[in-house]
Amino acid sequence: MSKEELLGICRESIFSGFFKSHAKGLRNYLYYKFGNENQAEDITQEAFIKLWQNCADVPIEKAKSYIYTIANNASLNVIAHQKVVLNYAKSAAKKESTNESPEFLLEEDEFKTKLLSAIQNLNETQRVAFLMHRIDGKKYAEIAAELEISVKAVEKRIHLALVELRKEFDHFK
Amino acid sequence: MEENYKLAKWLSGEMSQEELKAFQSEPDFAIYEKIKNHSAQLEVPTLEEQAMLSKIVNTPKKEVKTVSLTKSWLFKVAAILVIGLGLFYTYTTFQTSTELAGDGTQKAFLLPDNSEVVLNSGSEIEYKKMNWDNNRTLELHGEAYFKVAKGKKFEVNTPLGKVTVLGTQFNVKQRGGRFEVTCYEGRVKVNYSNTEQIITKGMGVAFENGKPLETPQILAQSPEWLTNEMVFNKADLTSILGEFERHFNVTLEADKVIGNGQLFTGTIPGENIDVALQVLSTSYHLKPVKVNKNKIILTMINDQK
Repeated sequence: MSKEELLGICRESIFSGFFKSHAKGLRNYLYYKFGNENQAEDITQEAFIKLWQNCADVPIEKAKSYIYTIANNASLNVIAHQKVVLNYAKSAAKKESTNESPEFLLEEDEFKTKLLSAIQNLNETQRVAFLMHRIDGKKYAEIAAELEISVKAVEKRIHLALVELRKEFDHFK
Repeated sequence: MEENYKLAKWLSGEMSQEELKAFQSEPDFAIYEKIKNHSAQLEVPTLEEQAMLSKIVNTPKKEVKTVSLTKSWLFKVAAILVIGLGLFYTYTTFQTSTELAGDGTQKAFLLPDNSEVVLNSGSEIEYKKMNWDNNRTLELHGEAYFKVAKGKKFEVNTPLGKVTVLGTQFNVKQRGGRFEVTCYEGRVKVNYSNTEQIITKGMGVAFENGKPLETPQILAQSPEWLTNEMVFNKADLTSILGEFERHFNVTLEADKVIGNGQLFTGTIPGENIDVALQVLSTSYHLKPVKVNKNKIILTMINDQK
């Protein structure tokens, strides 16, 4: 490996490119994990600072797993575990609300609220995998790489998450 | 197993057409579809990326200083010092150590195993510090008293003979053609030309020019010269004068005829040269004449008969 390649991540332009493509994903992952926005951001920042400081030792192809490993290690020390508070995109909600009956809208709102609480009640691993797919739009393979588990395991978590969520809507038909 | 994760396949759009059709006919499909649609609208708080990035980039990097060994003169000096010390240490261990007691002085020192050695005036010992515990051999010229620590074979080589011991106290004297070994404790093996003799506490052996001499029983605990006395056992005048010269660091001149080969046995105090000379003069009918501080001429006192 040439010195140039090794120093890659140390160059500010390359580093900020890397940051922009992964910071949000990492922050969200941490947020799904323990539901505290501040902690998620702190750990994200910490992980990237470590990468920045040790850029000379981390080849760019290892950088992603490096920040996830750091973040996972740091989150072991996090005690506070809070409910994951999520919002529905306002734009999407508006679109839908145009030509539906009020009754239907009410039902939809009820469903949405229920879905949020159902997601909060999912266990950590299922919630993390599910939200990484639904919110961040990541492919199962990407999720598997970031969580350092197999794609099969991701599928299992997603599947079980859906089954769990479904249980909350037994009276909906 | 694949069957079990069909919901995951469906959610990611990997389901085949047939599977999808079957799934769509299930009563739960509508709910799953709703979950899928609504969860796609979920949002997380936005991340202030730019602010975080500038914070990160502005954290000081750990200083990774590479100091070239060849460039820094400090390292050169340090390296030279280390190598120098190493060489010095090796040199001192491999080198033969020499202990010397000049005329008129005595010298006491310790060997690496803490054996005590006292060198009498005008004597010299050579030994190797390296591997001393396994090879306790030294070369002696002159006279020395040894108090040997227990351990392996201890050897004293002199030009005349060899003394081998195992943890004892003994005195070895080699002057001119005379070789004397006195044992004060333990056992000592003395090799002289082709003879081998073992002596024990209170015994001594002496040879003069190849001939064995009788030695009296030794009562002292350590050699008399340690307490500044000169003990002679059937010594001729030449060897006595030699002893005087070494002990007092003076030059004595005397006619060769003097003494007539008379042998002297006795103790002469060594504190004061005048007293000692008087004792000697009385015995041999001599008259000491001090030429200067360091030179004395002994002349025969004319027969007054």
